[in-house]
Amino acid sequence: MVRKITLHTLLWIVALLQLFPLIWLINYSFLKSGDFFGSSILKWPEKLEWSNYINAFTYGSVPKFLWNSAFITTAAILVAAVLSLMLSYAFTRMEWRLRGVTMAFIMLGMIVPIHATLLPNFILFNWLDLLDNPLSLILPYIAFSLPISMLIISGFLVTIPKSIEESAVMDGCSVYGVIFRIILPMTKPALATACIMNFISWWNEFIMANTFLTSEKFKTLPFSIMKFAGQYSSNYGAQFAVMTMIALPTVIIYLMFTEQMSRGITAGAVKG
Amino acid sequence: MHKLLSNRRTIFALVAPGLFLFLFMVCFPIMMSAYYGMTDWRGIGSYQFVGLDNYMKILFNDPVFWRSLMNALLLLAATLLLQHPIALLFSILVTNAGRFEKLFRTIFFIPAVISIVVTSKMWVSVFHPNYGVLNKFLTAVGLESWKQDWLGDPSIAIWCVIFVIMWQGFGYALLLYYAGLQGIPKDLYEAAELDGAGRVKLYTKVVIPLLTPMVRVAVVIAVTACLKQMETIFLMTNGGPINTTQFIGNYLYKTAFTSSLYGYGNAISVIFVIVCLIITVIMNRAFKKDVGEF
Repeated sequence: MVRKITLHTLLWIVALLQLFPLIWLINYSFLKSGDFFGSSILKWPEKLEWSNYINAFTYGSVPKFLWNSAFITTAAILVAAVLSLMLSYAFTRMEWRLRGVTMAFIMLGMIVPIHATLLPNFILFNWLDLLDNPLSLILPYIAFSLPISMLIISGFLVTIPKSIEESAVMDGCSVYGVIFRIILPMTKPALATACIMNFISWWNEFIMANTFLTSEKFKTLPFSIMKFAGQYSSNYGAQFAVMTMIALPTVIIYLMFTEQMSRGITAGAVKG
Repeated sequence: MHKLLSNRRTIFALVAPGLFLFLFMVCFPIMMSAYYGMTDWRGIGSYQFVGLDNYMKILFNDPVFWRSLMNALLLLAATLLLQHPIALLFSILVTNAGRFEKLFRTIFFIPAVISIVVTSKMWVSVFHPNYGVLNKFLTAVGLESWKQDWLGDPSIAIWCVIFVIMWQGFGYALLLYYAGLQGIPKDLYEAAELDGAGRVKLYTKVVIPLLTPMVRVAVVIAVTACLKQMETIFLMTNGGPINTTQFIGNYLYKTAFTSSLYGYGNAISVIFVIVCLIITVIMNRAFKKDVGEF
């Protein structure tokens, strides 16, 4: 009994340390700006200051940033899923000489730090006139999604028996038909895992967004808090409201798909 | 079927889009970096070709670069000596938490999915010398003499930053060990219990040795993650005070965009990639020899 109590106390202490930021964030997002400088760590709001959220929405162009984030992330993860599926099929089912080398080559992408591509890509996008264009984020996001997504999808593909595809081919189905009509629905769990992991990475990504987008037109959500901090530095309540809005989507997606996420991370880790 | 699966046009159509994008967005930029790294370009105007001067300067005459590498090493040491043992211990505790098992596992991972922009900003406020929660807390418990300018003091800032990075990555490490524990067959526990092994003995003699493959995986991941550290630094200290919290990713960024030494920054980029590749190859060699199995 004593052991059980100690065990649970320990677990709760660490759980609180891990959860504290979220609690603190939400708590402060409902406070009046004047309440921030008191001596207490958390403060029970006398009245929920929804006006912080309203301010964030009206002054911080948060809706625009929210839309940009949603659009760029969705485009990147969907294209990455299709390309990874095609690559995985070619690497696990098709028969060609250079497939081992090519696959290993793309896997190198897991080792290359994205930060090493920031400077040259800035010049490259400048040449191509893609700076300040959503493509300057979507393209590298897709490229850096490929290795991990391929790992997850091809790991799943090898467990699917080939007999189904064979009979489909007998019935006159092409390879593309096999991939998109038969394999795609069957690999849904792996595709979902890859998409969720990529969603979390790219929704949170900000260093490329900060580098390649120069005007406000296409800036993504994580950027908005930096802008906010500069322009409305005294409006702490609204800053916390924006931060809560940045944090919540990924937390909610994670809570909805905890199992897929955990599987994806461990699969990526063990095989990578 | 064989004929269909070895059709070159089909293979090309399947591989080309992804491979081309990968070459275009990952490999080609690195080659561009290698080229610009050999110039003294400042981002605008004309530039001169300086050969390997930049690379030589980084390797032999750039204390900030070496400081950045040392910080990665320091972070790695802290990760392996503190974060991983605690994560391993807690992964064992979590598997024994009965009906709360899933709840705890979920909670521990939450910081890892929250945007670094948010967590960094939060920790900057926590460490704030006047309004920060940390100093408020120290005052509240009567330890006023312990109060610090946490991120402004060159000897303390690096430890604060390391703490934050370890805090955010804790759930990730825990999840890896947890997955490793799930892979150990249940009857092994029962067999050990039948043999009269106590709980401590069960874990030290049976379970942890069986986790060795997962420990290796976790170490490899930790090494690359420590090297690639950048965002938290960029947002919390930008490498300061006086470069004491500098990491390579942030250093190359600052060199190119703040100091306008674009050529030099590219040379750092190239060396960064090479360091990552070499270390990964070394670790794979070292760990491949004996792969444990259950």
